[in-house]
Amino acid sequence: MGPLSRETWAQRLGAFRASPSAFMAGPEGEDLGRDLLSELRSEKLSEQTKVSLLALSLEYPAQLWPDATAAEAAATSLLDTLVLLPPRPSALRRPLLLAATTALVAGDALGPTSEASRRLLPLLLGLASGRDLGRGFGPASEQRPLQATACECLRELESCKPGLLGGCLGLLRGLLGQEGPVQPLSLLLALALRNTLVIRARARAGLQGLLMAGDTPSGGDPWNWALAEEGDARLQPQAPSWPAAEEECGLAVLEPTPEEARELRAAVAQLLDTSYLLTPVAQAQLLWLLGWALRGLRGQTPVLFKPQLVRLLGTAQLTLLHAVLALKAAFGEALFTAQDEALLLRRLTVAAQHPALPLPAHLFHLHCLLSFPENWPLGPTAEEATPLLLGPRLCRGLLPSLLHDPMALLARLHLLCLLCVEDEEKEEKGQDWSPRHYLEELLAGLRQRAALDGGPRASATLCFQASHLVVQCLATQPTVLTPLTHGLARLYRARPVLAPHFVDLLDRVGPELGEPLRVALRQEVVSGPGRDEALRWHLQILAEVADGNAQSATLGFLGAAAAHCTDWGLQQALLRVCRALLRAGVGGGLADLLQALARQWEDPDGRDHARLYYVLLAHLAGPKLGVALGPSPAAPALASSLVAENQGFAAVLMVQEAPAPIRLSVGPHRAAGPGPVLQLHVEVLEPAYSLELRFRVEGQVYAPLGAVHVPCLCPGRPCRPLLLPLQPRRPAPTRLDVRALYTTPTGLTCHAHLPPLPVNFADLFLPFPQAPEGDKLGFFEELWDSCLPKGAESRLWCPLGPQGLEALVSRHLEPFVVVAQPPTSYHVAIRLPPDSRLLLRLEAAQEDGVPVALRTDDWAVLPLAGDYLRGLSAAV
Amino acid sequence: MAQRAVWLISREPGTPFCGTVRFSRRYPTVEKRAKVFNGASYVPIPEDGPFLKALLFELRLLDDEEDFIESRDSCSHINKTSVYGLLIGGGELWPVVAFLKNNMIYACVPLVEQTLSPHPPLISISGISQGFELLFGVQDFLSLSQKNDTELNTKLNQLPDLLLQACPFGTLLDANLQNSLDSINFASVTHSQKQPAWKVGTYKGKPQVSISITEKVKSMQYDKQDIADTWQVVGTVTCKCDLEGIMPNVTISLSLPTNGSPLQDILVHPCVTSLDSAILTSSSIDAMDDSAFSGPYKFPLTPPLESFNLCYYTSQVPVPPILGFYQMKEEEIQVKITVNLKLHESVKNNFEFCEAHIPFYNRGPITHVDYKVSFGQLEVFREKSSLVWIIGQKFPKSMEINLSGTVTFGAKSHEKQSFDEICIGGTAYLKLHFRILDYTLTGCYADQHSVQVFASGKPKISTHRKLISSDYYIWNSKAPAPVTYGSLLL
Repeated sequence: MGPLSRETWAQRLGAFRASPSAFMAGPEGEDLGRDLLSELRSEKLSEQTKVSLLALSLEYPAQLWPDATAAEAAATSLLDTLVLLPPRPSALRRPLLLAATTALVAGDALGPTSEASRRLLPLLLGLASGRDLGRGFGPASEQRPLQATACECLRELESCKPGLLGGCLGLLRGLLGQEGPVQPLSLLLALALRNTLVIRARARAGLQGLLMAGDTPSGGDPWNWALAEEGDARLQPQAPSWPAAEEECGLAVLEPTPEEARELRAAVAQLLDTSYLLTPVAQAQLLWLLGWALRGLRGQTPVLFKPQLVRLLGTAQLTLLHAVLALKAAFGEALFTAQDEALLLRRLTVAAQHPALPLPAHLFHLHCLLSFPENWPLGPTAEEATPLLLGPRLCRGLLPSLLHDPMALLARLHLLCLLCVEDEEKEEKGQDWSPRHYLEELLAGLRQRAALDGGPRASATLCFQASHLVVQCLATQPTVLTPLTHGLARLYRARPVLAPHFVDLLDRVGPELGEPLRVALRQEVVSGPGRDEALRWHLQILAEVADGNAQSATLGFLGAAAAHCTDWGLQQALLRVCRALLRAGVGGGLADLLQALARQWEDPDGRDHARLYYVLLAHLAGPKLGVALGPSPAAPALASSLVAENQGFAAVLMVQEAPAPIRLSVGPHRAAGPGPVLQLHVEVLEPAYSLELRFRVEGQVYAPLGAVHVPCLCPGRPCRPLLLPLQPRRPAPTRLDVRALYTTPTGLTCHAHLPPLPVNFADLFLPFPQAPEGDKLGFFEELWDSCLPKGAESRLWCPLGPQGLEALVSRHLEPFVVVAQPPTSYHVAIRLPPDSRLLLRLEAAQEDGVPVALRTDDWAVLPLAGDYLRGLSAAV
Repeated sequence: MAQRAVWLISREPGTPFCGTVRFSRRYPTVEKRAKVFNGASYVPIPEDGPFLKALLFELRLLDDEEDFIESRDSCSHINKTSVYGLLIGGGELWPVVAFLKNNMIYACVPLVEQTLSPHPPLISISGISQGFELLFGVQDFLSLSQKNDTELNTKLNQLPDLLLQACPFGTLLDANLQNSLDSINFASVTHSQKQPAWKVGTYKGKPQVSISITEKVKSMQYDKQDIADTWQVVGTVTCKCDLEGIMPNVTISLSLPTNGSPLQDILVHPCVTSLDSAILTSSSIDAMDDSAFSGPYKFPLTPPLESFNLCYYTSQVPVPPILGFYQMKEEEIQVKITVNLKLHESVKNNFEFCEAHIPFYNRGPITHVDYKVSFGQLEVFREKSSLVWIIGQKFPKSMEINLSGTVTFGAKSHEKQSFDEICIGGTAYLKLHFRILDYTLTGCYADQHSVQVFASGKPKISTHRKLISSDYYIWNSKAPAPVTYGSLLL
């Protein structure tokens, strides 16, 4: 693209600023960054246009040069442009320095390997030191502003890479002592000092003479990338000179050597002594930085700040007073005696109401007053409270009146409430205008204003916000809440159109106000005729406040109102009240009303709903009904009550698929009874009612299994093992597919698929009926012989673990042993349902195993038996 | 301690967006830090369009007051400072420092150097006060000698360059933008080491010092047994010191006559180098007694180049300059009014002007007035439903004047008559507007000898004084009136 004219650029910049994202997505977006850089060297454009291009790059570098490579290239190009400027005065040098700095930082390109960084940093330090950098850097008249700008750029680099200038502290001190511009150098030194102290303290390292004044630090390169890397791990919050935030940062403590301490004191004193030459906002920054720097130093008393305080306390500057508060928070009693604290509080109280200061400043000062960092706070520091030294006398001018702006009124009302709390704690002094009395009058005034017909919504909002604030602070004081309740009920009578505000208030206050206000509002509504213009609002209120109480009055009101609910909206509003009543468990009268509605209304939707509610009321038990009408768990945020409602029904009337809160496991084998029985252990993570477990046998090797029922299961409460009788069709292991059906405490019926349960071969083992006493061997031999020729025979090696044969038998085969001659020989007979047998002879155990002869009348059992025996030693 | 972005938005009710972004400035390097510091709670600075919409909504400046909107109107949505959270793109942009002044919204977002959830207390965020200071500075710059839209536009066009000077990287260097403007122009002046940052050059020319004291008196008068009348004087001392040298030392003293009312709640300009503790501690919070410090009030300072407010003070004078009562009774479509005003004998009876404005709110236009005044003349503004009693330059010898009459109103039309939430029914007020030159109610003055200048050449010293009324209300004593807590402590 060729060179663009001034107008084209103005247009282009305008389009970009209107919506940067839209512009960058458009056809011109891609080239903008490149064009901008090349146009800066164009001789056709005026300096003013170029400054506006640079201004854009100062604000949107991430859009123009989105990655580190592009940012690096852009910074290089900007530096080239700077070097190529002719040696006459130019308005471009300052913005070029700022733009190069911004590009490097914003593009994450700043670092020891970045060529542009290695060009920019020495250039900035050279300019900041006031060194003659040659004709390319403009005439002498520009040196001073460039020096200041270079300091600002360095400060921004240090802010984003804390510790970067750790090696320049001495140099900066030297410059400040000589001819350098005071403010930029002071702020730069203070920031570098603070960062270095913090990083050193974390690393538990000393200052290592960093503060010693000197021209350039030894070793050539002044950039402390190593220190910056340490600092970069997490940028250092500046705020934590505030005690509350301090614990989170794990404020480390640095213990400087006496010599270092002296140097440090000298540096801080040097900065503070010339601080009056700084603008007020810069002074405030300096104080925040130095306060934070010294806070972590053991043995450094903050008295250095003392000479500044009186001067600072006298001013009207918001930032200065705020900085003093930061020092107060940082040093507490070490810097502020009790008298100083009282004076500071008084100045703050004055500033919070001084007619010469603007409202935002008043409000901020008031906030500071209620968050005042006391030397010895009584309550928790996180909450707003009146400081101990701020008595009712001092607050007198800070109390609210109806003439105040809403924000000021709320802020002052909060103070008044806090005073009322204290007032209540002391005893009632019998004065006419106690704070509480005044509070009541004020609230009445606010309600009166909110009651005005046609008044703005803002005054209603203010009234309810004030009521909410009062309830928050004074929830335990019936003397406040009772008149408030009555007042609000009267307000509703005067202006039912405020119903949404009432519903909102009821949703947000606790039972202290909520309970009586509900009763009062219900009373207010149901005692009315139920057919005026406000019916819509009455129904909205009733839907919120209707419960089991005052049923007949409520139903009477609804019955009367039904005839006037001629449109769909009103009918739905009335049905919402019915829902609320249903949920509250109101029965008989409501059924009549619903039936009447189902007959009476012409609108089919209203009629159907009334009928549906009636059916639900008639058929569902209380808890289930509650769930049916409760908020749907699936989509609680849906605006349409109907959709939400239908989902509620669907949820309760259908079975929900759910992840199982149930764990099932097979317990120890019980070898008794006519058939094999699985012992099941059930555990639940949440209560489950009417649990039904259904089993399906994989491969149909057993007959179908019956379901198991458990009435109620609770977490942590042990449950009797469940017995599941198996009817094998073949003696084979298998897996059981398990499904659970249960009801949750909220009344939903759920269905869950549980992990399959394994049934092992050994789970099927049954002993033979008792052999005749005395001739066990004969009994066994008879069984042994009967297996052949139909069955199968085998010999195998059963490995023995360290426990030996005796232990193995007693652990696994005990119930089935017919003849035992411990420790040498065992004859084992196992019955396998439905009608198979497995006979084992274990004899002459050796060091690591025992030979086993086995016979069965079912050849299919042979491999299973083999696996079983081989696995025995492993299955300890 | 930095700002992430700054905006100026002009409020334009009735237009589709109800406002326009007139100026905005973002600070990407600060944004970079915000991302690290705020961590998971970081919400990026939005583009101008969404910001405008969200801010106007939060400030209730959109024309959609009709419906209850929970995110704005909920009773738990309580703002007690000019710091807001804006819901933008699913996140909450916080803290947004913003206020409306003369139909211009000033807004900025300070950097918070920690996580934002939960919100840390505002007092612990250094950028909050800095943000306020920046916005106040911009506001001062825009309102300084600004008369029309063209001038406003000129000043708005200067803002980008000024902020490049005063706030290049989001960290405010000087809230006095006029100073920054001068520094652009003063660039060629050679500086010495001790040049203060708040003084960009040196004055060359005839030395002169000008001091003017402006007192504003406000009052709430009820004429009731159980409610006390209140009044207060607020003084502003403005100086302009044209003196040669880099850091000329000046001491300005304010004095009171023997029966003068002590100055209280004194707030001084940061250029004041030291302050007597008696000045620091004299405060209206304390009960008055005879031992109160009554001056002279000495202010040693090194003045800046431009005109500056040396100090502000308040004072509690023993009596209000004009004491009056206002009685208004409603009788169907008309009201009967009686006004009595009495100038206190100690007050200089030589006004630049003196008027009593009597508005009638929430009523129709005035159709007829029957009246009798003992002094001055009455003007009737029918459509605005108000009367203005022009008293003129002097009260008569008796120092007391009366107005009585009957005002008849037409039918109320909602569009034209302004709605007032306070003046309902009989609740009504009259407001006094007056100005007296070369006079202060406290008696406070600065004479030529009270100014010491430690600089070459004897400066010409000029002093000015004036008293003006501000919020001087006399409430209808026949109906309830809004009171402050102070009025109840008889």
